[in-house]
Amino acid sequence: PPPSPPFPLLQIHPPSSSSPLPACFLPAPTTPAARSRELPPPPPRPRRALARAPRDPKLDTVEKIVEDFASDMALNPFSSGTRLRDMIRAIRACKTAAEERAVVRRECAAIRAAISGDGQDLRHRNMAKLMFIHMLGYPTHFGQMECLKLIAAAGYPEKRIGYLGLMLLLDERQEVLMLVTNSLKQDLNHSNQFIVGLALCALGNICSAEMARDLAPEVERLMRSRDANTKKKAALCSVRIVRKVPDLAENFMGLAASLLKEKHHGVLISAVQLCTELCKASKDALEYLRKNCIEGLVRILRDVSNSSYAPEYDVAGISDPFLHIRVLKLMRMLGQGDADCSDYMNDILAQVATKTESNKNAGNAILYECVETIMGIEATSGLRVLAINILGRFLSNRDNNIRYVALNILMRAITVDAQAVQRHRVTILECVKDADASIRKRALDLVYLLVNDTNVKPLTKELVDYLQVADPDFKEDLTAKICSIAEKFSQEKLWYLDQMFKVLSLAGNHVKDDVWHALIVVISNASELQGYSVRSLYTALQAYSEQGSLLRVAVWCIGEYGEMLVNNVGMLEAEGPITVTESDAVDAVELGLNRYSPDVTTRSMCLVALLKLSSRFPSMSERIKQIVSQNKENMVLELQQRSIEFGSIIQRHQSIRSSLLERMPVLDEAAYLVKRASATQATIPAYKPAAVTPGGLKLPNGVAKPAAAPLVDLLDLSSDDAPVTSAASATTAPSDFLQDLLGIGGTNLSTAGAPSSASTDILMDLLSMGSSPSQNGLPSPGLSSPALGKSNSNRNNDLIFCFCSHY
Amino acid sequence: HPTRSRPPSTDADPRRWHSRLSAILPSLATGCHPVRPRRQIRAATPTRPRSSSRASADLRGRRPSLAMINFVLLISRQGKVRLTKWYSPYTQKERTKVIRELSGLILTRGPKLCNFVEWRGYKVVYRRYASLYFCMCIDADDNELEVLEIIHHFVEILDRYFGSVCELDLIFNFHKAYYVLDEILISGELQESSKKNVARLIAAQDSLVEAAKE
Repeated sequence: PPPSPPFPLLQIHPPSSSSPLPACFLPAPTTPAARSRELPPPPPRPRRALARAPRDPKLDTVEKIVEDFASDMALNPFSSGTRLRDMIRAIRACKTAAEERAVVRRECAAIRAAISGDGQDLRHRNMAKLMFIHMLGYPTHFGQMECLKLIAAAGYPEKRIGYLGLMLLLDERQEVLMLVTNSLKQDLNHSNQFIVGLALCALGNICSAEMARDLAPEVERLMRSRDANTKKKAALCSVRIVRKVPDLAENFMGLAASLLKEKHHGVLISAVQLCTELCKASKDALEYLRKNCIEGLVRILRDVSNSSYAPEYDVAGISDPFLHIRVLKLMRMLGQGDADCSDYMNDILAQVATKTESNKNAGNAILYECVETIMGIEATSGLRVLAINILGRFLSNRDNNIRYVALNILMRAITVDAQAVQRHRVTILECVKDADASIRKRALDLVYLLVNDTNVKPLTKELVDYLQVADPDFKEDLTAKICSIAEKFSQEKLWYLDQMFKVLSLAGNHVKDDVWHALIVVISNASELQGYSVRSLYTALQAYSEQGSLLRVAVWCIGEYGEMLVNNVGMLEAEGPITVTESDAVDAVELGLNRYSPDVTTRSMCLVALLKLSSRFPSMSERIKQIVSQNKENMVLELQQRSIEFGSIIQRHQSIRSSLLERMPVLDEAAYLVKRASATQATIPAYKPAAVTPGGLKLPNGVAKPAAAPLVDLLDLSSDDAPVTSAASATTAPSDFLQDLLGIGGTNLSTAGAPSSASTDILMDLLSMGSSPSQNGLPSPGLSSPALGKSNSNRNNDLIFCFCSHY
Repeated sequence: HPTRSRPPSTDADPRRWHSRLSAILPSLATGCHPVRPRRQIRAATPTRPRSSSRASADLRGRRPSLAMINFVLLISRQGKVRLTKWYSPYTQKERTKVIRELSGLILTRGPKLCNFVEWRGYKVVYRRYASLYFCMCIDADDNELEVLEIIHHFVEILDRYFGSVCELDLIFNFHKAYYVLDEILISGELQESSKKNVARLIAAQDSLVEAAKE
C-alpha cells in the first residue's frame, strides 16, 4: 500500500459536518520540520539531542530503513534494539505479506528472548512493539505475563504501559486477568493519584464480575476522594461494576446522589452516568433517586443551559452539550411513569427545547435528546406540541443525519401520538425512495408501522410502484414488507390477489416461500376468484416468466384451474376476455418445465400441473405424455420418478385418472395461519425459513413416492400398529386400498384411488390427529428441500397430505 | 512523592509470581500457548456458543448491552486498522470478523450519505477525517448525534495534543493515542467534556514519565 501522506485530520472539513473549527485550530504550516512525523511530539517533553537529524519523509526509502536496521543490529546484536518507530517504519515499508511476516517474526523472537531473559531495560519499548504487532493481527500471548510484570513494577512509566498492554492484549474472559486483582488493589490504594487513575481506568474497561465484586469497596472509597480526576474515574468504574454485578447497586446509591452536588463537569457527567446505570439496575435505586435527585438535576440543567460562554466547555456556541444530554437522559428515566416528576421537569424542558439553537450538530443532539425525553415522560400537551414541532423541523432538514434521526423519533412517537405521525406520511414515503440506504430502511420500517385500514391502499400502491425501480438489495426488504402489509390489512380478496400478483411479477425472486404458499391457500378458498386468478397469472407469466415464485404459483393455478382459463369461466366485470387454447396452456407449463426454471421444485410442480392438465384436457394427453416422458432419464431422481409414474398413469390408468386428479379440496385458511405462525416461531433459531417449515405448504406435489422409510416410522407411531407392506404396486384397485387403510396391511400410496372425504376422517382418527388434513400439508418426502431432521409429526403430515392430494 | 518506591512485597515480586503461576498453569511457563478461558469466569456474562457461524445471530440477539459505546475503531481508507478499543466482550476471532465486516460496510459508503449505518442490530456512527474513519458502535436506542460530537471531541483533543494531528501521528504514536482515548472514555462512557482538562491531565502524566526517565 502506498504510504499515507501526512494530511492533518482536521484540516479538511468532513463532508457532512456542520461545525467549523474554532479559530484556535488553524491549519498547520507545511514546513519540512512540521511535516516530518518521525520526530517525537513537541514539548512539554524537554528536547534532547536527537541521535539522528530530522529526516525528510521523501528520503524514507527501503534502503534507508534497512540501513538503520543494520546499524541497530550492529550496536545491539543480542537484544531487540530497534526502536519502536523503526520497527513500524520497517513494517510499513514491506511490500508483501511475506516480508511483513518475516519482520514480525524477527521482532517477536527478539522480544521473547528479552522477556525470558528478564531484561529490565527496554521492557517499555518491547511492550509497545508487542502492542503494535497485536494490532496487526498476530498472536501475542507470550506477552501477557510481561504485562503483569510491568503492572507490578514500581515506576509510573512501567505501570502506564503495563496497564495499556493489559487492556489491549487481554479481555475479561481470560484467566490471566484474575492475577491482576492483587496488583490492582494495591494500585488503587497508591498515594500517586495518577497511578490510582490508571488502575481505575483499567478496572473500568475490562474487569470481570469476580474482580468487580472484590474491588468494589475500594472504588467506593475512591469516589469520596478529594481529587476530581479520581472521583470521576471511580464513578465510571462503578458504572461497570454495577453492570457486571447489579446486586451491588444499592451500595452506590447514596454516593451517586451526593456526587450530583459537585461543580466539576467531569464529575457531574460521570455521576449522572452512574445514576442512569443504577436506575437500570435496581428499582430501589430508581425510587431513591427519584425522591432525592430531581431538584438537583433540574438545577444542573438550568445552570448549564443559562451559563455564559465558557471556552473550556464550549462546543459550537453551546456550553457543554454532553452534560445537557446526559442530564436529559437521566430525567427521562426518572420521569417515566411518574407524573410528579414529569411535572417538575416541565419548565426546564420547555426552556431547553425553545432556547437551543439548531443550526449546529451539538444543538441538534440536545434537541433530539429533549424530544426523546418529552416523549418518554408524562408530559403536558404543550410540551408535546413543542416536541412535534421540532420533529417537523428535523424532517424537512436537508442534512441526512437529521432526517435519519427524525425518522427514529417518529418510530417512537407512533405510540405516543399516532395522528401526528400520520400527517408526515408523505414525507416518510419520500424517504423510502431516498438515495441513502440507512434512511430508506428506517423509512420502510416506519411505513410498516403507519399502515392502517384507511391508508393501506394508497400506501401499498406507492410501495409497489417503487418496487419496480428499487435497488436489488433493497428489493428483498421491500418485498417482505409489502407482502406482510397486504396480508395483514387486506379487506377484499380481490385487492390482495392483485397486489400479490404484481409483487410476484416485479420481484418474484425475492418472495419468500411462505408468502406464496399463503397466496395459494387464499386462491383455493376464493372460488369465485379462481378464474380471474388463473387468467391474471397466465397473462403475467407471458411477460415475467423468469420470476421464480410467479412461475410456481402460475403453474399450480394453470394445473388446477386449467379449464377455467381456457373457457373464460367466472369472469369478473372489469376483465377483458382473453383467448387461451388448451395448447397455449400446455405450452406455458412446458416452457416453465424446460426453459425457465432452474430448480427442482419448480420443475416438479410443472410435471404435476401437466398431469392435471392431461385429465382436464383429454385431447392434449398424447402431447403431454410426450413432454412428461422427456424426463424419464433425468438425472434428478425426483423428476425421473415423477416422470415415469405420471407417464404410466396417463398411459395405462385412464380409468382412475380423472378421479385421481379432481380439484383439490379447499385448504383451511384459518388453521393454516395458526400453524404457520407457530411454526415460524419454532423454526427461527434452528432453521432458515426457506427450508423445511412444518407449517409451510408445498402444495402442488400431489403424488408422493412410495416412501417406505417414513411410512415405517409413521406406522410405528400411530395408534394402530399395522405392519408395513411394500408400497407402489400400480394395479391395486381403490377398494382394496380402503380396506388396507382400515387396519390390515400397510398403505399403498402411489395409486391411491379416490377415497372420499370420509376416509380422510378415518385416516385422521387412525393416526390420532384431530385437525383437518389439508392444512398440515407439508413438503412431501420426495421434495428436494433439505431434510433437516424432519420431526415425526412432519412425516405424519406428509402421509396425510399425500392422500388428500389425490382428490 | 509521586514515585516513592515501596519495598516489594512477596506477592509483587515478578519472579516468584511467575514460578507460582507456572505451577498452576503450566502452559504459561513456555509462554507459547494461548490461554484458554474457562467457563466459570464467564458466569456473569451470558454463555455464548463457540461456533463462529452462529456468531452473527448471537451478537445480535444475546449480547447484553454493557456500554453505551461498544467499541471504537479507527480504520484507514485502505482498510488498515489504526486503533481499536473494545468496551464489550468480544473474542479475538469475533473482533477480526467485526472489523472485516465494518470495513466493508463503511468504506464503501458514499460521501453524501448520513453518518450512521445499521449493523447487526447496533448502530455504527462513523465520520471521515482526511484518510481516517473514526467509528463508534452504539446500541439502537442511543443518541447518534451525541456520539458524532464525542468523535469530534476526541479528534480535537488529539489535534491539540499532537499539534495538527494526521494519520502518521496515530501510526507511530499509537500508544499515546490510546492514552488520550483512556482519558476521554471509560467503559464506553464519556469521562470529561473539557478539552483543557484532558490536555492538562495527559501533560501531567507525560511529565511524570519524563521525570522517571531521568
